[in-house]
Amino acid sequence: MIVSERKPLAEIRRMIAPYQRLLTLGCGTCATVCGAGGEREVSFLNSALRVAQAKSGNETHTLSEYTVKRQCDLEFLDPLVEKVGDIDAILALSCGIGMQVIAERFPDMPVLPGVNTSFMGAVDEYGVWDERCAACGDCRLEETGGICPITRCTKGILNGPCAGTKDGKCEVSKDMDCGWILIYKRLEGLGQLEKMRRYYPPRNFRTIPRPKRIISQANIDTGEDND
Amino acid sequence: MYSAVTDNTQQNQGNRTKKSSTDHSLMPPCQATCPLHMDIREYVDLVAQGKIMEALQVIRDDNPFPSICAYVCDYPCEDTCRRCQVDKPVAIRMLKRFAVEFGGDRMIQVKAETTHRERVAIVGSGPAGLSVAYYLRKLGYPVTVFEADSKPGGMLRVGIPEYRLPPKIIDTEIQRLIQMGVEIKVNTRVVSLDRLFDMGYQAVFVAIGAHQGRKLRIPGADLDDTWTAVSFLRNARLKQKGNIGEKVVVLGGGNVAFDCARTARRSGAKEMHIACLEPRDEMLADAPEIEQAEEEGIVIHPSRTFTRIIDKDGHVAGVECLKLRSMEFDKEGKLHLDIIEGSEHSLAADTVIFAIGQCPDLNLFSGLSGLEVTKQGTIVIDQATLSTHHPGIFAGGDVVTGTASVTQALATGREAAFRINDYLQHRYPLAGKEAEENPLGDLFPETVETIRKTERLEPSILPTEARVKSFEAVELVYDWEAATEEARRCLHCGTGAEILFQDKCATCLACLRVCPYHVPYLDDSGTIQIPADQCQACGICVAECPAKAIVLRKPYGRQQISEELDHIVKAAAQLNLKPLIIGFCCQYGLSGTGTLASLRRGAKAGIWIVPVLCAAKVEAEQLLYAFEMGAEGVFVAGCGEQCARENIAFWVRQHVEKVRKTLAQIGLEPERLEAFNLSATDEEPVKALNSFTEKIGELCFASVITQEVKR
Repeated sequence: MIVSERKPLAEIRRMIAPYQRLLTLGCGTCATVCGAGGEREVSFLNSALRVAQAKSGNETHTLSEYTVKRQCDLEFLDPLVEKVGDIDAILALSCGIGMQVIAERFPDMPVLPGVNTSFMGAVDEYGVWDERCAACGDCRLEETGGICPITRCTKGILNGPCAGTKDGKCEVSKDMDCGWILIYKRLEGLGQLEKMRRYYPPRNFRTIPRPKRIISQANIDTGEDND
Repeated sequence: MYSAVTDNTQQNQGNRTKKSSTDHSLMPPCQATCPLHMDIREYVDLVAQGKIMEALQVIRDDNPFPSICAYVCDYPCEDTCRRCQVDKPVAIRMLKRFAVEFGGDRMIQVKAETTHRERVAIVGSGPAGLSVAYYLRKLGYPVTVFEADSKPGGMLRVGIPEYRLPPKIIDTEIQRLIQMGVEIKVNTRVVSLDRLFDMGYQAVFVAIGAHQGRKLRIPGADLDDTWTAVSFLRNARLKQKGNIGEKVVVLGGGNVAFDCARTARRSGAKEMHIACLEPRDEMLADAPEIEQAEEEGIVIHPSRTFTRIIDKDGHVAGVECLKLRSMEFDKEGKLHLDIIEGSEHSLAADTVIFAIGQCPDLNLFSGLSGLEVTKQGTIVIDQATLSTHHPGIFAGGDVVTGTASVTQALATGREAAFRINDYLQHRYPLAGKEAEENPLGDLFPETVETIRKTERLEPSILPTEARVKSFEAVELVYDWEAATEEARRCLHCGTGAEILFQDKCATCLACLRVCPYHVPYLDDSGTIQIPADQCQACGICVAECPAKAIVLRKPYGRQQISEELDHIVKAAAQLNLKPLIIGFCCQYGLSGTGTLASLRRGAKAGIWIVPVLCAAKVEAEQLLYAFEMGAEGVFVAGCGEQCARENIAFWVRQHVEKVRKTLAQIGLEPERLEAFNLSATDEEPVKALNSFTEKIGELCFASVITQEVKR
């Protein structure tokens, strides 16, 4: 899941300052799950902006709200067509992907990010998310017992642990597990410790071009395979 | 042709399952078990909120004589109460009695207008007869009740001892019926039903009860000093002098046997014994009845069978008994006794009372043509129409069912009134709606484990010495605090959370993670399910769901709070008191304990209280919305340690902290928002609130919200 976090109110207020009529747009998928941009957060943010506006006394934004199922698919944005006529900007509470799809769908409409897209992660307990994947495009989890050294190790090193590990914790923080100790214990449990003894050469990130694209269907016309 | 039924009669029947358009709650087992299908959950909840008048209104909607029921109902609802699985059932009957007495049921007047010309005669003024009279009168029929005794009430008056049902309660209800326009003819024995039709009545309801006591067919049963329970209780109640001896033995183990023994105790008997077939732990009487009887000095002899009444010079000298190893009824209902050889013994007595059941008085039927009677001496009726084989003659109550409860008789009476109405209006009878509803199943063991156990508050009873001296009512009514406290034990079965907007649900699992009762689960298809019969309706998931996809089946949550908040903001705008402070206060317990009232009194002007049914249901947005609407200070007050739920303070804190953080970002002082825990005995909340109010007053100068109160 893509985890995001609402931007500080001051930053949002600065962004929306030039626009009179705003639509705060929630996303019903990842942003809802991580509590940053679901229907509840949309109305909470609008309420907060109204209180702030009342306090400052010199702002007169009109705030409306709506939440779509998923902002990163054009089709879900169709209901917005009739709404965009009445607004000056969209304040999107979705990850950067959703925001860009909106920008694409409505070329004349300014889109403002209400959240920071933080990482791809999983829930630890209610309300706590941890990063789990860096989308590096070259997955090595098979070699590391299903634990990603890129995200779980502070340094992201491929041949760990480093000398900064102590009692299974990272030197950066006593509360943070050392990713490589986790990998070691996992491989030990799997009876695959020999994988620890191998050397993994540095990766060449330059070989991964951006923006990336995946084509899952075969190109029938040319007969070419995607691989 | 049968006409379509749309008049208010049928709506009246629909009332039994009446629900507002937003109420999607399921029928709880207490309501399903109640013969009258009373909305028990609703009135218990209203008592818990301290809304006693409203609770009484709910009770009166479904019950013609709540005061009578409050004393003598056999409360089958408590047996099915799902709190039995956790600890002990909610004391439903005593809560009803509290609502009836504190809500002022006696002062309520019921009006009825005559809208029909057809006259209906009711034979017998027991609970069934009076119930028919009440409902037929409400339907607009002229009604006459015929009673053979000198006072109306039937078994209520002559079969139930005064210490269980004070006569003034019956008198009040009779008076109310008379005010409604019911004609009651006492000292009038009906000898011919045909004659009633000649007199112009178009329908007759026969509810003559079961006043014929039975005796065992053993030698000596017809001696002078032997009684049937019916005649004994009747004599006691009508204050007729009877020859009660000093040593009384009652044969039988049901509630009536105990009524007899305890009545004998109050009538001056020195030694009271109860002997019955059943072993001690299988006796049919209610447990409190047995306990109270023993306190009053009544000796119980279980597992006995009786061979003869000992005759000494034509007077009773004792009962000869045999001890039993076991007893059981076979499939055909035939009794098998396993007698202990050589266990003959006798119980000394000068009076013997047979409390082994009763049947309708067959002699009364001699003048009634066209009635089919069973072997047990009860009238045969059609179950759907409640009509006998004679057109226009209906029957109900003990005369049809054999001895049954008062509540059962009231329910039959209500049903009969509707069926008689159908008959008189030439309509096809419609079955009651409640038959369509399935009551909720049992709680899962894992749910039971997570529910907080709370002690059942037993009502006080008169001390033994006081109660044996007179026929004063034994049970005392709850005081306000005990009633609200007890009512809060209700588990609110069937009002819990449901995912109303499945399309909105992002399956984020927030509900599954926050539920203190571990109720939501993921089914095999990956859809989140919140089983209605397990949910405890605490509302935490409703306030946490990021997609706002969950609602409570009864609108206790967001919707109710928002409506109250809007209402208060409007009212506050008109008065324009400054500073405006809005408090979200848990309604449970607080009204009853007086804390909420003293908060209102003690607090400075400008405090507006939004009553909520649990502080955890107040969502962060609603707190912020109060500021948006112009509040300068907001507080949430939970009910503290008395809370019947789990984790409430934690979630209140969470919501408050979220809003405080936002206030800080806006540049408003986070101290404008506070959470208090109120408890019954604590004086501190009022002080804390006052200091909060003063603080808000000062904050007004530090940072001013320029917006005027909206609306």
